[in-house]
Amino acid sequence: MTTAATGTSSIANEIQLEVRDRKPFSLKALLKNRWFLYTVSLTLFFGLWKYVDYTRVLGNGIAPPEKVVVAIWRLMTDTVAGKSLWGHTWASLNRILIGFAIASAIAVPLGILMALNRYVNAVVKPIFDLIKPMPPFAWISCAILWFGIGEPSKIFIIIIGTFVPCLLNAYMGIRLIEPQLYDVIRMLGGNRRDEILQVGFPAAFPAIFAGLQISLSIAWTCVLSAELVSARSGLGFIIIQGMQLARPDLVLAGMVVLAFWAWATTLIVTYLEKYLCPWKRETSLA
Amino acid sequence: MAYEQVKVETPLILRVLPVASLLCFFAVWQGVVDFGIVPNSMLASPTQVAALFWEKLFVAEPDGATLLVHAYISIIEALTGFLLALAVGIPLGLLMGWFVLAEGLARPIFEMIRPIPPVAWIPLTIFWYGIGIPGKVFIIWLSGIVPCVINSYVGVRMTSPTLIQMARTYGATDWDIFKKICIPSALPMVFGAMTIAQAYCWTTLVGAEYLAADQGLGYLITMGRRLALPPMVLLGMICVGLTGVAIGVVIERIEKKLLAGIRR
Repeated sequence: MTTAATGTSSIANEIQLEVRDRKPFSLKALLKNRWFLYTVSLTLFFGLWKYVDYTRVLGNGIAPPEKVVVAIWRLMTDTVAGKSLWGHTWASLNRILIGFAIASAIAVPLGILMALNRYVNAVVKPIFDLIKPMPPFAWISCAILWFGIGEPSKIFIIIIGTFVPCLLNAYMGIRLIEPQLYDVIRMLGGNRRDEILQVGFPAAFPAIFAGLQISLSIAWTCVLSAELVSARSGLGFIIIQGMQLARPDLVLAGMVVLAFWAWATTLIVTYLEKYLCPWKRETSLA
Repeated sequence: MAYEQVKVETPLILRVLPVASLLCFFAVWQGVVDFGIVPNSMLASPTQVAALFWEKLFVAEPDGATLLVHAYISIIEALTGFLLALAVGIPLGLLMGWFVLAEGLARPIFEMIRPIPPVAWIPLTIFWYGIGIPGKVFIIWLSGIVPCVINSYVGVRMTSPTLIQMARTYGATDWDIFKKICIPSALPMVFGAMTIAQAYCWTTLVGAEYLAADQGLGYLITMGRRLALPPMVLLGMICVGLTGVAIGVVIERIEKKLLAGIRR
């Protein structure tokens, strides 16, 4: 604990006093210790998991944590349907990257264009509003009717799912720029081009990135649901395989690996954002 | 307000363009099907969908229920999951925002479960609950609870420290501060969570019904595909979209009513 003892108002006379008081060990202090609580929480969670498995409340519907770890290990070394865990992960990741790249390459410029030009907005907005409320899952059937059950239909669903938040965020990002910023660039003698390049893009960048972040998590959901419906590779395939073989350890292993990758990709985008737009002011959530 | 709202008359062309764009969209859609550019086995024209809509209002064949029954089942499932998510998620998030004990206990588990897409739970819920309503409600609940917790948590965290310090100065207890300052100041975020959670719940519902259902709008779409009936697929999609929008509007209305006295 540091306290500043100031005898006079002059800062130069400020003396920093290091006061370190050793607190007696108490339950109250322990209950405020974050790391202790985290440990308790995780212990409780895994304990409960193990207990639920032990009592067979859910019958054969759950596998204990250690079996899941073994299942993940097995997946890494053995192959399921001709592919190891890495192959399946890459299959899912590959679909996401392709779909995500195509969607953001179309949606972000379109959103910006819609926000900047009201004629484009007048033409595209009604159609977009028509498509927007349909959940990406609703397109799965259409995609299968149109593209069969191969790779294109899965990528199509990812594109549809990620398109909406990308476009919406790019659009809102430009639209919600504070008018003061535009005033500044106008006062400095900027023209329309300067307004867009110097103010519009940098100010909308955080919003666009937020859209990409949302898109990414939606992309994981989309690829998973597409794989659950029909696939021969991918993490969703592992999960569905576990379901068909009535092996909850395989299902849980698929879920754990999926959670890890979804988390890792989100982390990458977060760092990318910090690197690319350090001027982002609002603190990110949670 | 530094910026006065100036009423600008919208030019005629800007009022005509959206209508024209929509008309064009439907005309192209109809044309593409009618002239056989896209085979009818892949895409149904708007008129076919409209005709099926009228028919499905009264006829239960071939998927076993009329449109209203499907919609009713879906709405009941989505609302149950949604309300349960609100009932659990919002208090949890609020507590996590203020009390170290709550955060320390709930956060690690929450962070572990959060990145798993709700759809991934479907196989497990089928193991646990079969394909009935409880399983679907569970998945919808899972998808709705995440935004509820995050938003309430952030809402409490964004409480102005000045207010908290002021309350401390006047000798308020922790619980008093939480009740009288943190919760009211978090309310706008909490209501924001309602909108997000509703959208998530509705999306997940369709996913859940895809894999395991015998009634509901998502099931209608799946049956459309299995029976190779493109009009039914499209009808299901449109109904899902419209119902989602309708629920969203209702929730927005409620939110406006409740938030009337609170400054944004």
